[in-house]
Amino acid sequence: MLKKLMLALPVVAMMSGAAIAADDYPDRSIRFIIGFGAGGNADTVARLLAEPMTKDLGQPVVVESKPGAGGNVASDFVSKSDPDGYTMQLMVGGHAVSAAMYNSQPFDPLADFTFISTIGQFPFFVAAQAGAYENIEDLIAKAKAAPGTIKIGHSGVGSTQNLTGELMDLETGADFIHVPYKGGAAAATALLGGEVDVVIDTGTIMTPQQEAGKFDILAVSSKDRWPDKPEVPTLAETVAPGFDVVSWTGVGMPAGVDPAIADKVRASVHAAIADPEVSARIEKLGAKPSPSSGEDMRAMVDSQIAVWKKVVDSAGIQKR
Amino acid sequence: MIDQFLLGLSVVLQPEVLMYAFFGVFLGQVIGVLPGVGAITAISLLLPVTFYLDPTSSVILLAGIYYGSQYGGAIASILLNLPGTPSSVVTCLEGYPLARSGRAGFALLITALSSFVGSMIGVVVVVLAAIPMAAFALKFGAPEYTMLVALGLVAASLISSGSQLRAFSMALVGIALGMVGSDASTGQYRFVATDALADGISLVSLAMGLFGLSEIIRNAANSEARKSKIQLSFKDIFPSKAELRSLVAPVGRGATIGSFFGALPGTGAAIASFMSYAFERRVSRTPEKFGKGHLPGLCAPEASNNAAAQTSFIPTLTLGVPGDAVMALIIGALILNGIIPGPRLIVDEPELFWGVIASFFVGNIILLIINIPLIGIWVRLLSIPYYRLYPAIVLLICVGVYSHRSSVTDVVLTLVFGLIGYIMKRYRFEPAPVLLGFVLGPMLEENFRRTMLLYGGDFSVFVTRPISAVLVGCGALLLGFTLLSAFISHRRALKAKHQQGGSYSV
Repeated sequence: MLKKLMLALPVVAMMSGAAIAADDYPDRSIRFIIGFGAGGNADTVARLLAEPMTKDLGQPVVVESKPGAGGNVASDFVSKSDPDGYTMQLMVGGHAVSAAMYNSQPFDPLADFTFISTIGQFPFFVAAQAGAYENIEDLIAKAKAAPGTIKIGHSGVGSTQNLTGELMDLETGADFIHVPYKGGAAAATALLGGEVDVVIDTGTIMTPQQEAGKFDILAVSSKDRWPDKPEVPTLAETVAPGFDVVSWTGVGMPAGVDPAIADKVRASVHAAIADPEVSARIEKLGAKPSPSSGEDMRAMVDSQIAVWKKVVDSAGIQKR
Repeated sequence: MIDQFLLGLSVVLQPEVLMYAFFGVFLGQVIGVLPGVGAITAISLLLPVTFYLDPTSSVILLAGIYYGSQYGGAIASILLNLPGTPSSVVTCLEGYPLARSGRAGFALLITALSSFVGSMIGVVVVVLAAIPMAAFALKFGAPEYTMLVALGLVAASLISSGSQLRAFSMALVGIALGMVGSDASTGQYRFVATDALADGISLVSLAMGLFGLSEIIRNAANSEARKSKIQLSFKDIFPSKAELRSLVAPVGRGATIGSFFGALPGTGAAIASFMSYAFERRVSRTPEKFGKGHLPGLCAPEASNNAAAQTSFIPTLTLGVPGDAVMALIIGALILNGIIPGPRLIVDEPELFWGVIASFFVGNIILLIINIPLIGIWVRLLSIPYYRLYPAIVLLICVGVYSHRSSVTDVVLTLVFGLIGYIMKRYRFEPAPVLLGFVLGPMLEENFRRTMLLYGGDFSVFVTRPISAVLVGCGALLLGFTLLSAFISHRRALKAKHQQGGSYSV
């Protein structure tokens, strides 16, 4: 109930015609839009940030869910909101993937947003049943020897996991069968049962199975080895030079936000991430806390859109 | 096994932990009664609270909400024909007619008892057989799921109490509605008129519209139906010994079916309740009584979905793979508490693992204790005059549907489905097959296409894989038996007509 009342606050404030000035900012509550249902990873990250940011900015930061179309409903809403600094969005790696997966979007994924900062970055791991392959080179060699036989389970068509697998095809020249499941857990279940040979997904899904001796983790998708698992080789250093995929969470706002306000929000986001308790929870979600500048975040989104467009085209994935 | 269970009991009987168990099941019960507000909404709202609890209490609290809502879901179904959860759709089929005939209190009591017994059987299965059942569940691949869902559809075609052709056509409508959204195999959008439909039609809005809202419209249009019949004397509420004895077998069968389906990741309580309803009808000597408030048809599915709610924790707790959205949220709570559940959970965190399982046992006893005195209050709800009750319910439905994914389109669609449901009722088309098609159709498609992708389009996998072959056999037997009995009764009818005709000619 309180939450619903809070949601009404910005409307009331807007009607009072408050003047926009960086000095007074914020003088009312800030909406923090997420594009996914309550309870998911995005929701958790948003709530982790909302609490310290509320304390820091002195106004309530209210998490609001606008789920649908892989986050596009929320992005569309935010891109068309007033750039007064009172609407921000929790962005995820899917923001760049959607730009490649959709024939047309009702917004421009770069020009319609003010990028504030990334929050956390996380790689994907390539795993197989324990003992099935000696290492990643072995997997790729066997895949090349028998094209179209080794099956990779992934968390859904157009997911970053799916595109990472397709990029692996492209960069190594191997030919895998890519099998969609409903979410990473279902794909991991299929690997446990031996229905697929390989799964590409996040550390939170793979690590417990690895620790229980069910999965071998063969490689990581990031450019450099991941601090959590320094023993796991990268795809880049083994079978696909230059391979670099990390997904991320970050904060964005509509295009045209006053730079002074954007700086203030960025400082608040960075302070929240620096809080040891918050960064510990981000790490528990399998990500590396990674505050950034707005330009860096924008450049990363830009380069990822280019990579995913190439992958979608060459893998022949039908766009939406 | 028993030692570990006692360890779990010692965890859950600590006053603080017990309080969270009580709070969880009580909240679940209340949430379950509210139309359209599901366990998912409640659990996701409470997820941030678990940051401040220890992992065991967190899971006990969230799990309590989940299985508590299974109890609550039946209440609105029986009293108002409002299925709070997909698994309580079949509860409407028998429970609501009972309430209409003035036996609401009786139906609620029977339901609470069946739910309790079903849950307890589920808990026993979890305690004794969690590990082997998890191993068995992993043998279910895409071909097995395809055949399981196909079997479910065949069994479900027996649910209808009226014309088979009408039921069949309604199931097709349900399948078509289930196709709206993105195609799981290619990611392409199908029938997506607006972005709001990109993730498909909401099951909650379909169920609320076709069942609850349409009934409200019908009652508003029919002054006779508005008269509520209430029976409050406790003597009428309690079943006789003979009645109780006749329900032992259906509850046992329901709980068995439920325990099995619950343990398969991704199928869950809804299919379990549909299957056990169809099964009861198949084995019944009086199938014509179904749909009019027949007790075995009420008890078996209730026992089934509650047993399934307990065993659905098996894949989550023993393998670390959540079978549905609720389980994913519970795993999320554990991860945020620094515990990543996986196959090692039972070894590394025995107090958590067994504490949670023991909490099921304690939680269900709490649920039974709070349910029986509440029956009187729930039944009194029906004595509220319709011009006060109905608008309040319509409002609650709208709020509940909106709460699922914050979509106004869903609310509008609920109202549209309500009107369609009203028209369907007038022309004697039943809503249950629509819902079945809606739930099972997409599962059948997804698993069939995955099978084809995995096995290179080879149809023989369905009969060469042992479990799948058994399921094919069951489906064929069921279909054959149904056709045969239809044929025989048709022959009898013909013969009777012939003899009659013969006597005339003399």
